[in-house]
Amino acid sequence: MIYLQGIKKSFRNQEVLKGINLTIEKGKVVTILGPSGSGKSTLLRCINFLEKPDEGVVQIGDVRVVAEKANKKDIMALRKQSAMVFQHYNLFAHKTVLENVMEGLIVAKKMKKAEARQRSEQVLERVGLSDKLNYFPSQLSGGQQQRVGIARALALNPEVILFDEPTSALDPELVGEVLAVIKDIAKEGITMLIVTHEMQFAREVSDQVLFMDGGVIVEKGSPMEIFTNPREERTRKFLKRISGGLPVHWIQKTAY
Amino acid sequence: MGKAFDITLVGEFLPQLVQYLGVTLQILAVSTVFGIVIGIAAAIPRLFRIPILSQLVVVYVSFIRGTPILIQLFLIFYGVPALFLLFDIDLTRMDPLYFVMITYSLSNGAVFSEIFRGAIQAIDYGQTEAAYSVGMSDSQTFFRIIIPQAIGIAFPNMANCIISSLKDTSLAFTIGVMDMVGRGETLIASTAHALEVYISLSIIYYIVVLVLEKLFRLFEKRVNRYKPDVVSSA
Repeated sequence: MIYLQGIKKSFRNQEVLKGINLTIEKGKVVTILGPSGSGKSTLLRCINFLEKPDEGVVQIGDVRVVAEKANKKDIMALRKQSAMVFQHYNLFAHKTVLENVMEGLIVAKKMKKAEARQRSEQVLERVGLSDKLNYFPSQLSGGQQQRVGIARALALNPEVILFDEPTSALDPELVGEVLAVIKDIAKEGITMLIVTHEMQFAREVSDQVLFMDGGVIVEKGSPMEIFTNPREERTRKFLKRISGGLPVHWIQKTAY
Repeated sequence: MGKAFDITLVGEFLPQLVQYLGVTLQILAVSTVFGIVIGIAAAIPRLFRIPILSQLVVVYVSFIRGTPILIQLFLIFYGVPALFLLFDIDLTRMDPLYFVMITYSLSNGAVFSEIFRGAIQAIDYGQTEAAYSVGMSDSQTFFRIIIPQAIGIAFPNMANCIISSLKDTSLAFTIGVMDMVGRGETLIASTAHALEVYISLSIIYYIVVLVLEKLFRLFEKRVNRYKPDVVSSA
């Protein structure tokens, strides 16, 4: 479960998040849509304190952190509840695929090496990379690297996995393999929060869709509601723009 | 002027000069090790933006960069004993070798600190974020993720630096250290065959540099084995 209350964040007097309240139930898959600069990535990064919110409360599972009073220990505890998949994969360049996945288990979770290896191999098989265990990230395609990123997050068995535009840096033909892996994990009942621009994917994978603009959550609802019958004008405009100028009914028609 | 050139003397001088290679390598080893220690210590204030200390480091690095090593050598050679004399400690009888070691350590330290700082800053911050996201602490991230990669980036520059520092040790004789050049000077004084001595010296230095380069290349391959071939074998 994720619980956010009154999350505010400014960069140099520019208010990026204007008090976000949000509750996500355990096991739900939630996607965040919105134009660039709307604060969706910042919101995601505030959840694991890669950006420290100026104000507000973040709770994941049993760990509750009040931004104003957060110390290093609190932040570490909170981070151990979550895992993140990054737009640019951010794999550890000097470690092999297997070591990338094992690192968090051994160092942060204090798991025994043999156990960590077994768990990592399992997860890497899950994302279809059993044959690449001893490769370095530089030897993999973007899609493969991102699947390692997903495996690294998944191995930690976190309360929630945060996906920060996981396919935005990929060549178009590699997007599919990564989305397929995410969909596969989504079926498992892990709580996931996904920032994405892939509308088709968002529609298929989400239990709930949030639309953000200007640092606030403008609208939330089921994919059906958001894509076929958005209440807010801003949501309609955004969907129209992202559908590449095609009329809105194109999205509606393919929505279900 | 010297006597007529006699190439056979080179063969005669070489073994005599090589006996003093140990002194040269000793200066190099000590100044490299202490240079690394000083370099790390000097890089930290700037990386973590520690006030006052980081300004002091900037001045130190800028001074070392802006003055010739020969002048630094004399400054230490005359300056340190003068400083200690204020506390009634007499260093005038100290082996000049130590002053050479101090000078080269300080000089290397300044250069290394800039190399280390650049190498650490060159590691993409995304990896630090990734380490945080899996629950690693600041120090775990620094020592397990950043440092191993920074070493790979710093190494080629350090290797260059060590090689030029080896060549700079040839100035040690100016304050009376009996290294290879020091011995060469005495040979010149006694035989008046200057050119042969300098040819011999150049042969020894060149061979040592070639050996060092070979070693460094092997080590570099090892630390950078995770990088794509196009980059690391260049």
